[in-house]
Amino acid sequence: MIGNFGQKFSAWIVNVAIAMTALRTNLMRSILTTLGVMIGVFAVTLAVAVGSGAQVSVMQSINALGSNMALIFPQPDSEGGRTTFDRGRLTMRDANAIKKQISGITDIAPQLRTSIQLVVAGRNASTSAIGATPGYGKVANAAAASGRFISEADVRSAARVVVLGPSVAKKLFGDYDPVGETVRINRAPFTVIGVMESKGSSFGNDNDDIAIMPITTTRQRFTGDSLSGPDDLQMLFVGFEDGVSLPRAKREITRLLRERYRVRGKDINPFTIRTTEEFMKESAQVTGIFQIVLVAIASISLLVGGIGIMNIMLVSVTERTREIGLRMALGAKRSDIRNQFLVEAAVLCVIGGAIGLTLAIAAGTALTIYADFPVPIGIGVGIGAIVFSAVIGVVFGGYPAVRASRLSPIEALRSE
Amino acid sequence: MALVETQDLVKNYVLGGETVRAVDGVSLSIERGEYVAIMGASGSGKSTFMNMIGCLDVPTSGEVRIDGIATQDRDGDALAELRNQKIGFIFQQFNLLARTTALDNVAVPLIYAGLGSEDRRAKARAKLEEMGLGDRLDHSPAKLSGGQQQRVAIARALVTDPVILLADEPTGALDSKTSEDIMEIFETLNNQGITIIVVTHEAEIADHAKRRIEFRDGKVIKDILVAHRRIVNA
Repeated sequence: MIGNFGQKFSAWIVNVAIAMTALRTNLMRSILTTLGVMIGVFAVTLAVAVGSGAQVSVMQSINALGSNMALIFPQPDSEGGRTTFDRGRLTMRDANAIKKQISGITDIAPQLRTSIQLVVAGRNASTSAIGATPGYGKVANAAAASGRFISEADVRSAARVVVLGPSVAKKLFGDYDPVGETVRINRAPFTVIGVMESKGSSFGNDNDDIAIMPITTTRQRFTGDSLSGPDDLQMLFVGFEDGVSLPRAKREITRLLRERYRVRGKDINPFTIRTTEEFMKESAQVTGIFQIVLVAIASISLLVGGIGIMNIMLVSVTERTREIGLRMALGAKRSDIRNQFLVEAAVLCVIGGAIGLTLAIAAGTALTIYADFPVPIGIGVGIGAIVFSAVIGVVFGGYPAVRASRLSPIEALRSE
Repeated sequence: MALVETQDLVKNYVLGGETVRAVDGVSLSIERGEYVAIMGASGSGKSTFMNMIGCLDVPTSGEVRIDGIATQDRDGDALAELRNQKIGFIFQQFNLLARTTALDNVAVPLIYAGLGSEDRRAKARAKLEEMGLGDRLDHSPAKLSGGQQQRVAIARALVTDPVILLADEPTGALDSKTSEDIMEIFETLNNQGITIIVVTHEAEIADHAKRRIEFRDGKVIKDILVAHRRIVNA
């Protein structure tokens, strides 16, 4: 058994040696042919890596939002049913009811959102402001890097205080720590009480371009007129403890809010609830499709490379018909001839694939460093690329190899 | 039992819609140890006959037996095995692999015999040394003379220890001096007991053989034993 295996193994080694001689003989042709596979493997590997990079950065930005969370908007549910509300409703009282009656909640973060302009000493910055409560810090994974976050007292007194995102702070104050300084927001003076920790950027969106102030201040000064009630919210984050089932929590909140708004039967809800779990599933789906499309497009170049392999192998078989005849006369079986040409095609492809993979790793590293976009090429992808190259060789070298093996010995020997 | 035996051997070719009978019912037998010259003008059917007894070509009808083995019911792979084990081929144009050393050229049949790399190299080296090419092992065919190339080819034909050596115009591409050298090698091999069948149209080459078979129009017209001119190993 072992001897038999040894012989078989030795026969493959011989085939590789024959292939190397043949490929060296037509060096220029071999290089040009392998170029096709090289570009194909480069494109496919990079496509796979960019796709999984997109997935990684989507997950990162969802995690930056807060990992275990439900988001509630005062928007009528988009699904079918009878509309009984002309606009959505969500109030501070709803938020407090949720906090009191639903189990497993760490904290809630009711919010109002608006755009503001900040001015200080001739410099100005436009940004979006979040009117929040102290719970925001806990639910949204946000904390002050210097100074402090909004307190209960700030909310109760509707204090003119603001916590700046790092980008806003930098735009207005440069590297100087602005805690304690006064900025004018829409002409009113506000005291800067803190600067947030950086949350980086996701998809070119700067998470640090933000300002946070007490929700009561925002309501009084900026959003009061646009809301239907004095108690209305524009958004509510609900944070959950680890291990809480989000679909179940969503069902419970839905039931509670439907009771509060007396929504019956098939009537649609005046609110929308989304969970981070749903976001993750949806974006996994979207990035999955993105990856498939990318790989499909890249595969075309690999297909073209494979056709190049088939073409050159057909030429090689034709050119070496006499050699094939000779080998058959000396005792080569059909499988010996077939394997010889399969190995030649596979060697050609694996060399191309290895170079393509190396280039893809280089390009991926460059993208990660210079474009701040993660392009992970793991060992799995690397091995996959090499194995896939060999498969390309066997698939596209298959027809020429089988054709070679079917030649009649005497006709092959007689050919010029 | 004859080493090579043919019975009513026929080979037809279709050329331009016309059927040409290249070999037309040949029955003959060649015993172990014989040295046979097959002669005839081009188109006489001698090469076609030789390709069939070499199991390179399949007869239209009739039988070929090699060392007692009937060939007509064997498939391509079984015939390849038979060629590998029983028959050594020598060609007019040597048919060595270019850019491949003499040693590797001689070792090719051993790949298909399933030998490991060490055994292949050892056997190939021994055969090349027998042919007086011990100092040319790493030379590619381009660096060898015609005579040396044909000696490499003979080493390759002998490396599997076949019972029959089939030579198709073995000196056709060589000058007369070198041809004599090759003929001497053939005589030595025959004296060692190897059966040799040479296809040639040259009388001087055929003169070295002990039996002469002449073909014309696909049929054997003459089959004679010749008294040897020279006394070997006196």
